[in-house]
Amino acid sequence: MIKSHPHEQLLVQYATGELNPAMLVMIGTHVDMCPQCQQHVADIEEQIALKVLGERVTDAALPNTVVDSMLESIMNSPAPIQVRAEAARDYISLEGKRFALPATLARNEHRIGQWHHMVSKLWRAPVDIGNGEMLNLIYMADGAQVPEHTHKGREATLVINGVFNDEFNEYRDGDFILLDEHHKHTPQTQGEDCLTLATLDAPMHFTAGISRLLNPFSSLFFR
Amino acid sequence: MQSVIESPTKRKPMSSAQPDSAEYAAELLSRIAASRSRQAFAELFKHFAPKLQAYATRQFGNEQTAMDLVQETMTNVWHKAHLFKPDRGSAATWIFTIARNIRFDFLRKNKHRQYDLSADDLWPVLAETNESLDDDYALDDDLLLQQLAVYCESLPIAQKEVVELIYIEGKSQQEVADALEIPLGTVKSRTRLALQKLKELIKTDD
Ligand SMILES: [Zn+2]
Repeated sequence: MIKSHPHEQLLVQYATGELNPAMLVMIGTHVDMCPQCQQHVADIEEQIALKVLGERVTDAALPNTVVDSMLESIMNSPAPIQVRAEAARDYISLEGKRFALPATLARNEHRIGQWHHMVSKLWRAPVDIGNGEMLNLIYMADGAQVPEHTHKGREATLVINGVFNDEFNEYRDGDFILLDEHHKHTPQTQGEDCLTLATLDAPMHFTAGISRLLNPFSSLFFR
Repeated sequence: MQSVIESPTKRKPMSSAQPDSAEYAAELLSRIAASRSRQAFAELFKHFAPKLQAYATRQFGNEQTAMDLVQETMTNVWHKAHLFKPDRGSAATWIFTIARNIRFDFLRKNKHRQYDLSADDLWPVLAETNESLDDDYALDDDLLLQQLAVYCESLPIAQKEVVELIYIEGKSQQEVADALEIPLGTVKSRTRLALQKLKELIKTDD
């Protein structure tokens, strides 16, 4: 049962395409995993469509001659290239395990780069969506801990498979967590591993003890 | 616009119906999907194009780009009407999501914010599903409705009935099976046989 969903504002911006690409992939992947948000997005689309395409406009906007020539050219146009819905590959393998990819990630499977081992129990693979956007798959083996940190921007995390927890809560498949610079947290896995998708507007800032010395580590984490 | 010869068997729109009635807009889409009805498309276009244009003009602040969005959106509506699923939402919503995707791709191709991710990568509104591709019985563009009506007369009654329900009424094969209380396989084989026959008839006529 998913208990942590994106705020409605994010769902609206997802439905209109008004988020940065990394966040669009994050929200899209959550929506794939979450029947509740699927319904919510469908309702939002219905309402926006009603607003945009239900309003009255003056007929003068499109003169008949323009209408006729557009109709003619559309109905004589060649059919566009067909886009297939099925992804080429809808899973990834790591550390001898296989993880199913939700539809949005599966459609973008070709963008997933090489896995890099970061520190003891953490792996990272970039998802290349261009334009220097930072989107990463993060794999935490059982017993992994990310040092306590805050964020200079917003950090969004989505659990793809498994479970992790921080000081506040436990997060499982489909849970979406958005934290800003006011939140400090220490993600860790206990008894199970965890695959997450994560994006960050700005580098993390480590705040606790010895890990402050690790601050360059944040550029290793999100690059 | 080129004149469209309506087949005598085709349902005429109810006089009071407007595309802003959700059921009627959905019916127009199913007629476009089933029989490439130019008349249905023209009606749908005249209803939605001015609204799309107003929306796009507000979004882009540029008349030409707005017209491009209208043209590209409605071109997809014409060619992809078979992807509209009435049980998943209204016709207006489907058309809006197409416009949303096209707007997204217009903006991303803008040189100031180029990125790789396309609208299709995010929202597969226009992707062919297995269901849509498995349909071996889609009518060729050259097999026009008005020809169909004439040639259908020479089909066996059982085949004629199925063809009219699918291509003129716009019913799915499953709906036809339910309506006639015959197995789906029978509907499929009758459709296939009928289309073979029709194609032969049209060829020998040419
Ligand atoms: Zn949700």
